[in-house]
Amino acid sequence: MAEAAYSSKMLSGRWQDRLRGLRSLTQELWRDKAGFIGMLLIAALLLMAVAAPLLAPHDPAAQDLRARLKPPAWSAQGTWNHILGTDHLGRDVLSRLIYGSRVSLLVGAAVVTIAGTFGVIMGLLAGYRGGRTDSIIMRWIDTQVAFPGLLLALIILAVIGPSMITVIIVLSLNGWMVYGRMTRSAVLAVRQTAYVEAAEIVGCRAHRVIFRHILPNLTSPLLTLAILEFARIVLAEAALSFLGLGIQPPATSWGLDVATGKDYIFRAWWLVTMPGIAISITVLAVNLVASWMRLISDPQEREKQFARKMAVRQRRRRATGQ
Amino acid sequence: MKIRGKLLLGCFLVMALAAFANAQDVTIAIGSEPTTLDPQLREDGGERAVNDNIYETLMARTPKGQLIPGLAASEPRLIDPQTWEIKLRSGIKFHNGEPFNADAVVFSVKRIINPKFNSEQISFFNTIQDAQKVDNLTVRLKTDGPDPILLSRLYWMKIVPPKHSMDSKFAEKPVGTGPYRFVQWDRGESITLVRNSNYWGTKPLVSRVKYRFIEEPGTRLAGLMAGEFDIITNLLPEFTQQVPKAIHILGLEHPIIILNADGGPTKDVRVRQALNYAVDKDALAEGLFEGFAQVAQGQLLSPSFFGYNPKVKAYPYNPDKAKQLLKAAGAVGATVELIGTAGRWLKDRELVEAVAAYWDAVGVKTKVRIFEFNEYLNRLFDRKTRGDAIFVVSSNELLDADKSFSAYYKAGGIGSSNTDKQLATLIDNARSETDFAKRKSIYHQAVKRAFDQAYFTWLLNIEDIYGVSARVDWSGRVDAKILVSEMKVKK
Repeated sequence: MAEAAYSSKMLSGRWQDRLRGLRSLTQELWRDKAGFIGMLLIAALLLMAVAAPLLAPHDPAAQDLRARLKPPAWSAQGTWNHILGTDHLGRDVLSRLIYGSRVSLLVGAAVVTIAGTFGVIMGLLAGYRGGRTDSIIMRWIDTQVAFPGLLLALIILAVIGPSMITVIIVLSLNGWMVYGRMTRSAVLAVRQTAYVEAAEIVGCRAHRVIFRHILPNLTSPLLTLAILEFARIVLAEAALSFLGLGIQPPATSWGLDVATGKDYIFRAWWLVTMPGIAISITVLAVNLVASWMRLISDPQEREKQFARKMAVRQRRRRATGQ
Repeated sequence: MKIRGKLLLGCFLVMALAAFANAQDVTIAIGSEPTTLDPQLREDGGERAVNDNIYETLMARTPKGQLIPGLAASEPRLIDPQTWEIKLRSGIKFHNGEPFNADAVVFSVKRIINPKFNSEQISFFNTIQDAQKVDNLTVRLKTDGPDPILLSRLYWMKIVPPKHSMDSKFAEKPVGTGPYRFVQWDRGESITLVRNSNYWGTKPLVSRVKYRFIEEPGTRLAGLMAGEFDIITNLLPEFTQQVPKAIHILGLEHPIIILNADGGPTKDVRVRQALNYAVDKDALAEGLFEGFAQVAQGQLLSPSFFGYNPKVKAYPYNPDKAKQLLKAAGAVGATVELIGTAGRWLKDRELVEAVAAYWDAVGVKTKVRIFEFNEYLNRLFDRKTRGDAIFVVSSNELLDADKSFSAYYKAGGIGSSNTDKQLATLIDNARSETDFAKRKSIYHQAVKRAFDQAYFTWLLNIEDIYGVSARVDWSGRVDAKILVSEMKVKK
């Protein structure tokens, strides 16, 4: 009886802790205005992807060859029926943009997650274990970097056929090496620090040392890398899809629309510009949030932030004192 | 004083000469650099664009496609069903002084049909078995059976000089009998030709021609606008408004969709017909190709080809009829796999996407598969993985029904998806029929048969579009050859 009460109390305590943590996190996010805007943008993009059928004014695959390449509504020949104009088959650009976000965001997020997780684990192993493990993993990475990605894509295509899953698999298989290399070099540096040695001396198991003491210190460089990769992946997906190795029509993605619209750039600038802007906004939003996350996850950055805050407070105090 | 005067005069002369030379120069931008300048070895558009002006063939064509004697003095004569006798023009010399005679023709024929030479053009000449010299200006060609289109084949075979072609540098220094003579090949940059002053035929007007190899259509366009080029190939329809002059002429290319007549939902002839009725070909031609394509009239032939049946017209755009036919066939909602590729032919991806949308609109479920080109070719040439429908652009350089029909219409052809014995027999009969009128009527029957059975979704006949500068006069040819001797530079 008493034990149950005790445990339920502890549980609610833990919940309260979490809630408090979340609240302070939101407060910090609110304080970092750029990060807050980024988060809002990401939320809006996700909402757009999820609610695409409700938001899109037209069927993204409905074509009208006689009304192709109509400019956006605000130019002379535009109509409000097609706010962002129509593409080379007379399809509504805005609707394609809304539907395209599904593939682009999903592929980008999935590839970054899969390739990132695998690459980081491999890098941690290589860096922490050293010796033979290290050389085997690093040689594996070297070999795979030297192997042409398109060829790999072709082989996979021949086996499982083109689809969104294929794209995710191909890009993940091709993208994990950079995480591995970066993690390994960072681990090598952190491994020599006193707190890691201390943890080892105290008798922590390897996985505890790796995940509690080493990994958190790699958060900020890895976040930066993941964001750079996200942008690259969105465009890489386009290249694959354009060649016929990726998603198949009538489905579309932002990158694919940029790739197919490229031929018309002198005639119809909106075909590349609109999905291009969408990609830029996404990358910007992710960047803003990541930069904020880097700030709060890096102890050194937090220290600097704290020092700055204290300095401001002191200056203010001095000013009011006089 | 005197020296300075002479110098000035000299400068003046040089400048005048340069200006004069410029006035007669033409620069042509083509899409790819020739892989070789041996005219008999490769099947290479870049090579052809240059060598068509250096070399000549026994038969030639007018710009409208009519066959006329070229190096042959008169139209070859059939002496028995398998032997043709060709009289040659006299007094013609190759650019290096070698005489053009029966020996040169026999040598050229034997060179290209020699299996060891392994020419990529062999599919054009696989009926020719042997060449014999009768006298200095008479040659006999033997074929493996009656070959009614030998004359079209001869129009494709360039005659090479026997001595010089043994030279190891032959592939870099071409020598022909044509109106232009090779000067220089700067690899990766340009090829220069000058007028052959001893040319036997009408003297060409342009004195010097330079070929540049520009892969990107946008760069070719920019070069034309800047006055760097006089003629550019494969202009996109979207850019025709911007160039000084755009020449467009009905070409040899037919985008078409091969339907599987032996399996899947397309086995039913009503479904195949419905897939034809469903597509608005006029909208494709007017919209997607901006008017630079014509609706294919229910056959894989242009009006200028031998065998074209003027009585057969395209399936009209009639979505209601398509829906009825699908309903009657019980194929509403059936999945049709449509295979295509991207970036190989003008607007290939766009065409496939547009057709898929039309098909979806009448009630089938089109599963589009855009494959990378090599994988696409694997599918195209493998009957089993070809799918219910596959998009292809057929190009027929012989301007005769035989080539397209043996490849795509006849059961067992490399791109054929039917097992229609009746159609195959017609095509075989036409192949060995040497009587023009009879052969024509057999092809008319074959065209009608394939049309009624709707073995294909016929789409368009694409026009070749060239961008031309204001200073050059040229009107293009139906066979897509770029002959400089037909051009004129305005003063």
